[in-house]
Amino acid sequence: MTDSADTAELRSTLRGFFEQHAPTRSQLADDPGQWKRLTTELGLTGLAVPEEQGGSGASYVELAVVLEEAGRSLLRAPLLSTAVAAVVLADSDAGDLLPPLLDGSMSAAFVVGDVTVDGDRLTGSVAQVVDAAAAGLLLVTVGDALYAVDAAAATIRSLEALDPTRPLAAVELDGASGRRVGDAAHALDLLHVALAAESVGAARAVLEMTVAYLTVREQFGRPLGSFQALRHRVADLTVELEAATSTVWYAARAAAERAPDLPVVAPLAKATATDAFTHIAGDAIQLHGGIGFTWEHDAHLYFKRAWTTALLHDDARTLRRTAFDRGTRG
Amino acid sequence: MSLADFRGEVQAWLRERLDGKFAAVVGTGGPGREHEHVEERKAWEQELARGGWVGLGWPRDAGGRGASIEEQVVFYEEYARAGGPGRINHLGEQLAGPTIAAFGTQEQKDRFLPGILQGTDIWCQGYSEPGAGSDLAAVRTTAVMREDGWHIDGQKVWTSLTQYADWCFVLARSDAGSERHRGLSYLLVPMRQPGVEVRPIVQLTGTSEFNEVFFDDAVTAADNVVGEPGAGWRVAMGTLAFERGVSTLGQQVGFAHDLDQVIAAAISSGAVEHDAVKDQIVEAWAGLQTLRHSALRTLNNDASSSTGVEANVSKLLWANWHQRLGELAMSVQGAAATVVDGDGFSPLQTMFLASRAGTIYGGSNEVQRNIIAERFWGLPKDRA
Ligand SMILES: Cc1cc2nc3c(=O)[nH]c(=O)nc-3n(C[C@H](O)[C@H](O)[C@H](O)COP(=O)(O)OP(=O)(O)OC[C@H]3O[C@@H](n4cnc5c(N)ncnc54)[C@H](O)[C@@H]3O)c2cc1C
Repeated sequence: MTDSADTAELRSTLRGFFEQHAPTRSQLADDPGQWKRLTTELGLTGLAVPEEQGGSGASYVELAVVLEEAGRSLLRAPLLSTAVAAVVLADSDAGDLLPPLLDGSMSAAFVVGDVTVDGDRLTGSVAQVVDAAAAGLLLVTVGDALYAVDAAAATIRSLEALDPTRPLAAVELDGASGRRVGDAAHALDLLHVALAAESVGAARAVLEMTVAYLTVREQFGRPLGSFQALRHRVADLTVELEAATSTVWYAARAAAERAPDLPVVAPLAKATATDAFTHIAGDAIQLHGGIGFTWEHDAHLYFKRAWTTALLHDDARTLRRTAFDRGTRG
Repeated sequence: MSLADFRGEVQAWLRERLDGKFAAVVGTGGPGREHEHVEERKAWEQELARGGWVGLGWPRDAGGRGASIEEQVVFYEEYARAGGPGRINHLGEQLAGPTIAAFGTQEQKDRFLPGILQGTDIWCQGYSEPGAGSDLAAVRTTAVMREDGWHIDGQKVWTSLTQYADWCFVLARSDAGSERHRGLSYLLVPMRQPGVEVRPIVQLTGTSEFNEVFFDDAVTAADNVVGEPGAGWRVAMGTLAFERGVSTLGQQVGFAHDLDQVIAAAISSGAVEHDAVKDQIVEAWAGLQTLRHSALRTLNNDASSSTGVEANVSKLLWANWHQRLGELAMSVQGAAATVVDGDGFSPLQTMFLASRAGTIYGGSNEVQRNIIAERFWGLPKDRA
């Protein structure tokens, strides 16, 4: 995104932090110490929660910057889910659920799928839920409504995920007691903007990695980056990334201001960002040649994150249609 | 004034005139249709000037309105919505004026800016030559200083709107024997004189926006050089930055109108019922939103947050987007799009054809990509 003086400082602090405490490779395993630092030391889960509710009082724009930086290192910890959940709860009358999310003693997960409600009892099974296995609190969409459910009241089964940096689980609710905490649609808009920000951050990192490689790798007696076929490919990816970044920038501001066009630009941001991310991560493998096809190299981690993010919480085609329908209705 | 009030003022001003005295120019003069209602569009430019809408984004000390970026966006949006005609002096307002304001002497500002702000002097851009296209530094037109001023000889080509222009900013070689970027001067040349011959070139649209221009001992006053003689390259690049900058905003807003027409055609042909076509329309719509977000983000940047290549990114984005829209305009009509009805190309056929130019002028796609690779990423030049 484009930084103001404030966000530039925040970004550089976080970049230093993630480089030291969350290098990409380390994301393949859980790291409780890292989560503690993210929450208690940096207070990131409460970043966009008002101060009087125990947060840092920053806006969704700052949160988006944090998530871009988290995306760079493919952070595995449930920061995105928990920070977005905190924003949603801070805006509801369930503020009493906030403290454990802010002090890091509990993380949250969004359960989006076919769940029904009878009185305050929720029933249904959702096949792929990000961050559910570690979560203490589930935010469950039921039609237009959003419910909070104690994770202990659900049956949660960890899954082996295609993307090793993004934990997935199956969630089963069988008459679990739920508490109405707000609207599903607004929560999903916020989630889409967050995923979009994370995606452009990750996409930028893998594109930078690729350009760095093209600069040092020589074939035919010169750096690969001097071949116009590759320079132009990099330029086209840059255009796609910058375009997506613009839409994310716009959507984050819309989320911060609760602008009336947030429901239009939020799905659009996720669609645009994951399209850019999948293209860039795919080309990153290609432009690295054989080394890019190895388990050893990070390129595949970005590639898997890109596709996983694109497919979860509605794919780009569906989201664009949603945005179009919302944006052209009036 | 609040933005909403400003919008109201723009709407009311435009509606009164475009529903009234200037109804004939509504929707005319766009790309591929530059020949339409020329005299009326000149009068319209002067009417806009009287309303204070010319030089909207220019600084106040240059005689402009000093409007904020948001206000400029609003103006362009409402202008497009009201069907405002193609601006016959966009090269004057968007390129010549800002260049003179930024690089010119006070005397030059006093001499040239009022004519642009009043909509009375129409301008054109004399850069490209038969041997100097993407490689602009290969310019060979010469300028020689004599007692009565600069004498200019040579040929320019692809020069837009010259047939209507009173003035041209010309890049010419003023140091005999100089090469490449050195020894060029940025001259302001009056077009209505015996030493200037303009020959329209018929484009693939069947119309002539651009021309060949022959300078055969054309003359301009000694003072009409912007920047130092021999140091015109820097000024010429300054103009290009304007060309690739804010000025595209207005044009982008017109794209919304093009998209509406394509959607209408898809509905009337029934093509919209096909899922694949619906997807393409949705993608075009989404792309247009992103174009707008990019323009807003670019205009919001300052020197510290700028990537330095926003204009190049935006040029590639809109030119490609518009070209795809042109293709979609045809495919939603199917075989019916292959027939030309009595009155020449339909608006959608014209849009389809005219959209091939955006990826060429103002720095082609390939040139933009080279700039992004070198300036943004620092990739080495191609030596092959
Ligand atoms: C509608 C229209 C209006 C115009 N109006 C004006 C005007 O008002 N004033 C003016 O001065 N000019 C004007 N131009 C000219 C325009 O700026 C030139 O056409 C443009 O700069 C390209 O130059 P060229 O036509 O000589 O093509 P060339 O430079 O010969 O290019 C031909 C092809 O080669 C590619 N190419 C060139 N160099 C490279 C490279 N280094 N690497 C990779 N590919 C390369 C180009 O991208 C292009 O695809 C206009 C053009 C059009 C189409």
